[in-house]
Amino acid sequence: MSLPGLELTQPSEERHLASAPPSQINLKAGSEWRFEVAYGHIIKVKLLTGTAELFGTELAESQTYTFSGTKAAIYTWHGCELEVSAADTGNTATSDGVNAVAGHGAGGCQSEYTAEETPMTEYANLHFALESMRQDAQGSGKDGPRVLLLGPEDAGKTSLAKILTAYATKVGRQPVVVNLDSTEGMLSVPGTLTATAFRTMLDIEEGWGSSPMSGPSPVPVKLPLVYCYPSANPLDAEGSVYKPIVSRLALSVMGRLAEDEEARETGIIVDTPGILSSGKPGSLELINHIVTEFAITTIVILGSERLYSTMVKQYDQKPSASASATIFDERVSVLKLSKSGGCVDRDETFRKATRESQIRSYFFGTTISSSASAALSLSSISSSAVTLSPHAQVMDFASLSVYNYTIVSSDDDEEDEYDPSSLGMSGSFLPSGADDAAAHNPNSDRAAPLPGVVGSFSENQQTSASESSSHVPLKKVLPPASSALANTLIAVTHASTTSTPAQVRDASIMGFLYVAEVDADKGKIRVLAPIGGRLPPRAMIWARRWPTEVVGLVG
Amino acid sequence: MSGLASEEVAEDYKSSLEDLTGNDRFQISNLTVIAKENTEHAMAISRVLENHIRTTPPQHKLPALYVVDSIVKNVGTPYTLFLGRNMYQTFMNAYTLVDAQTRRKLDEMLKTWKEPVPGSLDTRPVFPPDITRSIESALIKARTAALQQEQARSNLLQRGRGGGTPPAMARPGVSHHGVNGQSHRTMTPPSGHRPGNELDALNRDLEACILAARNDFASAPFDPTTQQRLKALLDLQTIMRNQQLTPDQLRLVRDQISAFRPQTSTTYPGPSAVAAPPQAPQAQISTPPAAAPIVPVAATPTPAQQPVSQSLQSLLNSRTLAELIKNTAIRQQPTPPPPVPQMAPVAPMGTMHPQMSATGSSTPQPDNPLIAALRSRGILPPASAPPAMGQAPSGTGEALPFLIPGGMRPASSVPTPPVSMTASSVVPATTASMKIPRVALVVSLYEAKSNRCGTCGRRFPATQEGKEKKARHLDWHFKTNQRMSEAAKRAQTRSWYVDERDWIKSREVDDDQPAGDGDDNADGESGPEGANSKTGPPLAWIRAPNDAARRNTPCPICQEKFESTWSEDVQDWIWQDAVQVGTRVYHASCYAEVTKGGPVARSSTPQAQVQARTSTPDSVLGKRKAETSNSPGKTRIKTEV
Repeated sequence: MSLPGLELTQPSEERHLASAPPSQINLKAGSEWRFEVAYGHIIKVKLLTGTAELFGTELAESQTYTFSGTKAAIYTWHGCELEVSAADTGNTATSDGVNAVAGHGAGGCQSEYTAEETPMTEYANLHFALESMRQDAQGSGKDGPRVLLLGPEDAGKTSLAKILTAYATKVGRQPVVVNLDSTEGMLSVPGTLTATAFRTMLDIEEGWGSSPMSGPSPVPVKLPLVYCYPSANPLDAEGSVYKPIVSRLALSVMGRLAEDEEARETGIIVDTPGILSSGKPGSLELINHIVTEFAITTIVILGSERLYSTMVKQYDQKPSASASATIFDERVSVLKLSKSGGCVDRDETFRKATRESQIRSYFFGTTISSSASAALSLSSISSSAVTLSPHAQVMDFASLSVYNYTIVSSDDDEEDEYDPSSLGMSGSFLPSGADDAAAHNPNSDRAAPLPGVVGSFSENQQTSASESSSHVPLKKVLPPASSALANTLIAVTHASTTSTPAQVRDASIMGFLYVAEVDADKGKIRVLAPIGGRLPPRAMIWARRWPTEVVGLVG
Repeated sequence: MSGLASEEVAEDYKSSLEDLTGNDRFQISNLTVIAKENTEHAMAISRVLENHIRTTPPQHKLPALYVVDSIVKNVGTPYTLFLGRNMYQTFMNAYTLVDAQTRRKLDEMLKTWKEPVPGSLDTRPVFPPDITRSIESALIKARTAALQQEQARSNLLQRGRGGGTPPAMARPGVSHHGVNGQSHRTMTPPSGHRPGNELDALNRDLEACILAARNDFASAPFDPTTQQRLKALLDLQTIMRNQQLTPDQLRLVRDQISAFRPQTSTTYPGPSAVAAPPQAPQAQISTPPAAAPIVPVAATPTPAQQPVSQSLQSLLNSRTLAELIKNTAIRQQPTPPPPVPQMAPVAPMGTMHPQMSATGSSTPQPDNPLIAALRSRGILPPASAPPAMGQAPSGTGEALPFLIPGGMRPASSVPTPPVSMTASSVVPATTASMKIPRVALVVSLYEAKSNRCGTCGRRFPATQEGKEKKARHLDWHFKTNQRMSEAAKRAQTRSWYVDERDWIKSREVDDDQPAGDGDDNADGESGPEGANSKTGPPLAWIRAPNDAARRNTPCPICQEKFESTWSEDVQDWIWQDAVQVGTRVYHASCYAEVTKGGPVARSSTPQAQVQARTSTPDSVLGKRKAETSNSPGKTRIKTEV
């Protein structure tokens, strides 16, 4: 069966999926094979000869890679031969009506074709340009390049970030990759902003890889620093929630860079949500905030002339926000790169499936899974599958200290009423509570000489922005447990239960709970936690329906 | 739902069951829910389940039985009643057809059936005791029978092999000896009496043969037969040194060695020594296809239930060994000269390609995890040191220079990275500059590191340092594979994310860094199984006893025999997860479980497990310990590299 509206650029014969033989694809040097695989269908790709890379990460020869729910491209610099086949999934149509959606392309891809025109030369050149800056930094004590990737939705920002990261790790660098797009999780679930130092190669099948687990992983795990931003739109409440979290994240990243020599030389790669490049009111202010907080040196714009010209006007050849900018005469450069013709729009259904699958794999491991997971046994198919066993437990809701943001999704229900009890609890913006001081002081001390502006800047911003400096729009969710909790995620922060709302907002995330069931009468909730045992007493943030409601994660 | 006819429900249920091919918690709980909602059709569903378990292929039986387990624990009557009727047949039928690992799982499940449903108020066991008892007694009978049979067979085997093997089967013969010697090792006590002088003579003969083979190898390093022979001999020697052979086995070995002698002497002055070096690479490239079937076998983690014999067997497969030797030889062999023309701005792509494919086709094999295994066991020398060639007597030294003037090692001392670096430093960060093709710089991503890992595609420079890094990287792959197959047996969990302070302090560790702290430093979380988790810091193990009687004594608690595994750290055969209490040896996990006081429900259905966990105070305590150990202050971050 095929999805309507998906034309195939390459006419392919009617293939009977059940007995489709593996197709061979010959790629000429400098071309790429673009493919889309629906959730629920699995293809296997094998590199027969030559070299090939998926978003910069090289494929090993004669290894089988499996893809599901993927829209990606395999590029070759030298020419290669690929073998593509559909994974044997047994019955694709199951009794409960879940159908694995297989397309007509090779191996059952929804769409697949070979493209000869790619912007890979530009992307590689960007890497080489960054690499020259890194060499510069290595010698002189300067900081490595801090790259900001901007562009509208589906322009290939994250793919470019992957390519740059993969190339950097390939030549032995260690970039810190910052994901500021809360609609897409990086090494975490959606609804988060993360920073991760990459030294080891990316996972071909899983995008960025996986965060640490109790057991071994075939591709080295990555260690993300996670913050919770509980909305898809950074512009919510004029960015009054987004900005402080970004500042906090930048502070930590700068702290890391100050201590980690290799990270400092390699610099930062910042991936942003497309909405920042949409020209919405307030988005430029947010971009400015990011540029300042991360002391960006290189702004890369993908596929938006308008934004490019705005950025050139505002930033090109201006000194960067780094404290050392004046010493080294560090200037911001603004670059425009072509959007790849392979970029496809991801519709809301696909995005939702991606979010769900990220949440699933957070709890259950990196089996390629989705709504059709019930129909497919994947452990035998995916070579790198690691199955995780989360733990369900019943908890007394009253014993938890759960906060939620009062600004987000005001249309939800009457619980959003402002709670005066949270007023006045957040006198200081930067946490200085005794319990937190130990954790934060080293950073701020360390970070202060480097970014210079970070600490004071955010405070100024905050006070000037609005009255929001006087309170943080976080309030405690009081019992009784709302039934709206069911099927949603709760972020467990590192902040103690007695923290002020500002501390809760700025705290990094420890992990997530999934609420499987709410028993309002007894005030109990049944949750799925990644790890068994007693849940640490920490403040939690409930983001309501965001990132997404996953129904039936637990049976 | 209730309006449906039983047949329809059964048919639906059947097709859902047929989709259940793995231990998938969703599916199992889904099936349980369906069963729960259709209790009025319990009879039909039970019938379907029984039929399914009977007819489904062995590897799908366990999940199906888990469905049964989940249903009887979560739904209970009337399913317990219906399923209980034929449980003996169902269970035994499945048990006879599945492999050892699945059997162990079945045993575990059966154990839980004798206990009340975890978390329930009902104190009655899951299934009536008479059902479980009948299954158990049948299993015990079967086990003893199997044990006797096994012993009888091994005796027979040894007697059968007492006769001389035809000398013509020289190569297979060696591996065959290895297997024999190995099985002997685990089965019978070392015979005390052995004529020492005979052994010495044998060793001397072996030495002589190895010497000859080495000479051969040195003069014709790329001749596969010499490699195989040398490797086989070296292995034989290892076996002789490490294991005690019975007299008749010794005799066999001696026969074998004398059979080897004439062969070696004929090939020694063989023409292969004259083989023109430029042709050698081609010869190599043409050989891998023949060996291709071996690679996947070796790359997959060895099945855990019998790691010893598995690894030994594959180790003693002379073809594999020849492959290994050849691979080290390849690594030894200087890599093709860095493509000089590519330094020019626009290099013709055509010239790159053949080289790429040449290196590509020769790389996959070196990444065989077995190499790492062999190396760590000292069977192969470390990659950095020349393998057999370096050990060859100095007399054959002339053979080596012979290779070098032939053009095999030109310019390998010219490092490419500096070239690419100087070139890349001219890329300005401007939009216009981004459009200029710089094919030459792509070299820094590919050709500058020509040594590719076959498992993950990672590249290493063709320098000495690169080789060392790759060797460590391969070791890492090997260890990870091992640990993955071990880890598959126990539940794994996602760790909590680190906090800011830990993240700032953390440093990414690469797998090609010198080993040390990167290894097992970080089992941050004790496994979900709490105290009896194998991840717990002090892994209980003991040296495998030499005494055969003791070796065959099963764990008194679970009645399972112990598995000997080779420990690299101890350099001896050990029993993992074993603990000696007095004169008896228990599985550490079994012992811990029993001594914890009272039976702890170790149910095998995931869902039930979850309930058990929350109700068991033990795991909570265990968890608290893990938590404190992970608290900030101690910057111990688990990255599991």
